[in-house]
This record gives sequence, structure tokens and C-alpha cells, in this order.
Amino acid sequence: MASSLKALLVDDMSVERMVVSSMLRKFHCEITLAKNGKEAVDMFLEGNEFDIVVCDKDMPIMTGPEAIVKIRAMGATDVKIVGVSADDNAMEAFMGAGADDFVPKPVRPEILQPMVQEVINKK
Amino acid sequence: MMDLSEPTMDYSNLRRQITFMKKSFFDQGYLDEQFNQLEELQDESSPNFVEEVVALFLKDSPRLLSNIEQTIGKYPQDFYRLDSLVHQLKGSGSSIGAVRMKNECSVFKAHCNDRNLEGCRRSLQKMKREHATLKQKLESYFQLLRQVGPREHAVNSRK
Repeated sequence: MASSLKALLVDDMSVERMVVSSMLRKFHCEITLAKNGKEAVDMFLEGNEFDIVVCDKDMPIMTGPEAIVKIRAMGATDVKIVGVSADDNAMEAFMGAGADDFVPKPVRPEILQPMVQEVINKK
Repeated sequence: MMDLSEPTMDYSNLRRQITFMKKSFFDQGYLDEQFNQLEELQDESSPNFVEEVVALFLKDSPRLLSNIEQTIGKYPQDFYRLDSLVHQLKGSGSSIGAVRMKNECSVFKAHCNDRNLEGCRRSLQKMKREHATLKQKLESYFQLLRQVGPREHAVNSRK
């Protein structure tokens, strides 16, 4: 993997941010962190662009699906958005909000890697 | 200073202890495959990654346990908040492979769903015991790992 993707990782739990960051770094992603959906939305409002967003579901202030609805409404339709959650009912919530994919927690690198590779291939 | 180019008896013994200790964590159900995944992420650019992630978990989780305990003590009961707090603990625990903690969190969530406060209380006590045991075991494990030095830290060790 030669290209460096811009990844936004959205999770309120520091352990999970650390683990998934490490995976994304191994996939040669340049990582920006957000601790909740509102911070993620603010990143886009500030004009930041990302190739991929990996987003948790249940977070304070603004949930993942809520943030995804807002991000898509801003016109960010090209960015790949992957929802992650340990919640059994999360996939429906994420896909309904406009996510492209869903990965159950704990996140496994062999599941996330093809999604990242797909974005690299498109770029 | 230990010369790692010529393994000594002490070094070999330490490595055996580390291997045995880690295997016991899996055999006794304290850790699952996710812990191996963390070790796969560890490399020469982040040689202490696993210890750092575990340290972060051990730093954050007491606060969550304390919040759960405080919330249990409140009236009227807020099972929604309790479920949310335990969900966070479950997520963090499963990220490091802490399977017993993860399972007890699932039991707690079931009690929340049933609005069973006494069940929540019992489950919390179990979670605290599991947490204390896991903390002690992992701290001993990393203490041993530090004794064998950077070579062991940089090499992935599978179960």
C-alpha cells in the first residue's frame, strides 16, 4: 500500500481510539481523531476532507448515526463511512444514516483492511 | 546488563515463565484472541503498544466502575445510564481481550434490561473482582516482559 489515506476516527473511548488508530496506521492512513459525533461534524464544517471515516455508534453529545446524517447532508457523499459498534442492532442504524459499511466490535484488522484497500484502489 | 545475543539460563527461564503465564491467561478464560490481535499490532515502531493499551484500560476502567457504582446508588434508578456506562466498559474490555470482564458486562446489561437492581449490584461486585484479578495478572506479566528487554517487546509472541 503506497498511498496515504486521510482517515477520521470517531470514538469516545480512548482504548478503542488507540487500538483502531494503530490498525489504520498500519494501513498507512493519516489519522485525525474525534471523541464524539459533534467533533466529527465540526471537522467537516471546518473544511477538512477525509477519504474514510471510522465511526462508533454510541457517543455523548452526538451519536455516530446522527453525525453521519449531518456529514452526508453537507454534501460529503464520496467519503467512505464505516460504522463500528458492539451493539447487535447497530448495522441497521448506521446503514440507515448513510454509512457504507459496518464492522462489529472489537474491530479486527482483517475485516477493516479490505475496506481501506477499496478506498485506496478508487483513489 | 543482559547479553541477549547469547541467551542465558535466566533469560530462557524468564521466557518460559512469560509463555506459561500468557497461556494460563487464555486457558483460565481471562483473555481471548483479541489480545493476540493487539500483539500483532505491536512492532519496532511501537514496541510497548500492548502494555500501553492495557495501561490505558486499567487507568480508565476504575472511573467507569466508580460511575456505575454511584449510579446504582441513585434514586430513582437510571437503568438507561447504567446500561450506557457498562456498554463503555464492555467495549474497552473487549478491545484488549478481557473476556471475563466482557462477559460480566453482558450479565450486567441483562439485569439492566430486566430492571433488576439487586442483580446489577451483584454483577458490579463480580466486575470489580474480575478487574482486580486481571489488573494483578497483567501487571505481573508486563513486569516479566520488561525483564527480558526490548527484543521480547518487539517480537510478536503468539499463543
